[in-house]
Amino acid sequence: MSVPLAGYTVARFGPASFLVHRRSVAVAAALLVLLAGAVVASLCLGESTVPPASVLDVLLGRPSPDQLVVGELRLPRVTVGLLVGLALGLAGALIQTVARNPLASPDVIGVSHGASAVVVGLMSFGYVQTARQVPWAAVAGGLAAGLLVYLLAWRRGMHAQRFVLIGIGISIALSSLTSLFLTKGDGLQAQQAKVWMTGSLNGAGLEQSAWLAWVLLAAVPAVLWSARAQRSISFDDSTAIGLGLRLNRIRLGTALLGIVLASCATGAAGPVDFVALMAPQIAVRLVRGARLPLFCSALTGAVVVVAADLLARRLLAPVELPVGVVTALVGAPYLMWLLIRSRRGGS
Amino acid sequence: MDRLEARGLTLAYESRTVVEDLDLTVPDGRVTVIVGPNACGKSTLLRALGRLLRPAGGAVLLDGAELARTPTREIARRIGLLPQSPAAPEGISVSDLVARGRQPHQSWWQQWSAEDERAVTEAMERTSTADLAERSVDELSGGQRQRAWIAMALAQDTGILLLDEPTTFLDIAHQVEVLDLVRRLNAERGRTVVAVLHDLNQAARYADHLVAMRDGRIVAQGPPAEVVTAGLVREVFGLKSVVVPDPVTGTPLVIPGAPWAA
Repeated sequence: MSVPLAGYTVARFGPASFLVHRRSVAVAAALLVLLAGAVVASLCLGESTVPPASVLDVLLGRPSPDQLVVGELRLPRVTVGLLVGLALGLAGALIQTVARNPLASPDVIGVSHGASAVVVGLMSFGYVQTARQVPWAAVAGGLAAGLLVYLLAWRRGMHAQRFVLIGIGISIALSSLTSLFLTKGDGLQAQQAKVWMTGSLNGAGLEQSAWLAWVLLAAVPAVLWSARAQRSISFDDSTAIGLGLRLNRIRLGTALLGIVLASCATGAAGPVDFVALMAPQIAVRLVRGARLPLFCSALTGAVVVVAADLLARRLLAPVELPVGVVTALVGAPYLMWLLIRSRRGGS
Repeated sequence: MDRLEARGLTLAYESRTVVEDLDLTVPDGRVTVIVGPNACGKSTLLRALGRLLRPAGGAVLLDGAELARTPTREIARRIGLLPQSPAAPEGISVSDLVARGRQPHQSWWQQWSAEDERAVTEAMERTSTADLAERSVDELSGGQRQRAWIAMALAQDTGILLLDEPTTFLDIAHQVEVLDLVRRLNAERGRTVVAVLHDLNQAARYADHLVAMRDGRIVAQGPPAEVVTAGLVREVFGLKSVVVPDPVTGTPLVIPGAPWAA
């Protein structure tokens, strides 16, 4: 049977039918392999090098002499990095889709700044004292900032340009607030807050990964819903409405989902910069599709964070850098390239 | 009763009223063309007919039900629309674009039915876009792109089609090609078409039913042969002209006066 839809394969099961973008499947498979490689490498490398066979033993629950190093020390950290990467990649793809702008990632439109401001504020004045309280403060701050941007940008519908501009404005305001808290706060607390603010997986454990995993799992139905709706929201508004899309509802749902995911990721690891910005853009270039691929963006985010954290641990070993430093080192030039390119593009 | 009509329709942007208390019945199975000077409210009216603009007063009725109270997806199965300058997702292929027209007929578990396939194939054949299927929309010429967009609207498989200045930015050959296509679609399937056109002569040539607007009101409507007169052209556009029969179709042809050539 001839399928006129270029690049897709149709999978039929009785009355049900699904469209499969062939290149996306291939890219996703390649990313999974890459991710597995990065995870295994992260588990192997460190102060002591563990052979891959032994790592596999630990992963499969077989007895191994390296159980402590791999299973107790490295695995929890890698898991958090993986989940944070998935969440950030996905959040970036969702929010960039709503804003129709690659610059509109959670770290640009205020989510991570909101999380930082609240965490640093509460830390500096001693309201947050244990590591357990940090994620909650971050999630609350990220959500509040994200929703504030969305509400301010709303005027008889969502306008992409306004969303980005207001987001950048709010981010700047929140950054100043954070600086203010840092200078006003007590010295030791402020120091801790600063470390958190660079986005770090140092000392990240199963506690963070467990709840982040639940959040991601709970988000799956919502992501499937938005993936379907997302197919046509990158049209202009008139065309999208003409196709029967409830544009405002879809935008709100998609943005909300992105804000929640980004806030939770920030809660788990602090603001790991630029991952949400880069991952969807890398993924869409790999997939060569007409929209930001959600699944591949999430995988790309995970690969980036796991690989960056490995670098962060080994680059200046035995000093462990925060992972956010590495992603920022890679991400900042990328952001500049994006800005220069979009200015040349004229629009 | 005709399927699409406007009753006592008032349309406004913010506080500026563009159309006030307008009644219009779109004849079924005909090509209706709305003409008028710039800013007369013709595109605004078309947007309201396609529920892109919520009426400030009155209502648009589709099959007797108020458009503003009908779920947008329901409307999308009955009215297809092509806005003035539609924007496609970057890098989308022609076949993918046309396939998006099936959106209102699909669900998450029925993403590509046999019916979808038939409608898309047919839409691409009728618009001669089948051989462009794998090309990216960004790299098409203006005429090809417009045909791809029309194919998308066709794939939507609606009884009513709204076109907002479908010939803008096209050279004359492509304008004629698009308008011929519109006529053919109407003739073969009895599809109801409402189009806004800039060019009065094209409107007179392709319309069954011509609606002339000025300042948000309908000045005259009916078959072009009855409506288009030198008096109407002066009233609507403020232009002195001579109206002669088109040597090819016999429809009215407006020749503007030339005061400088006296």
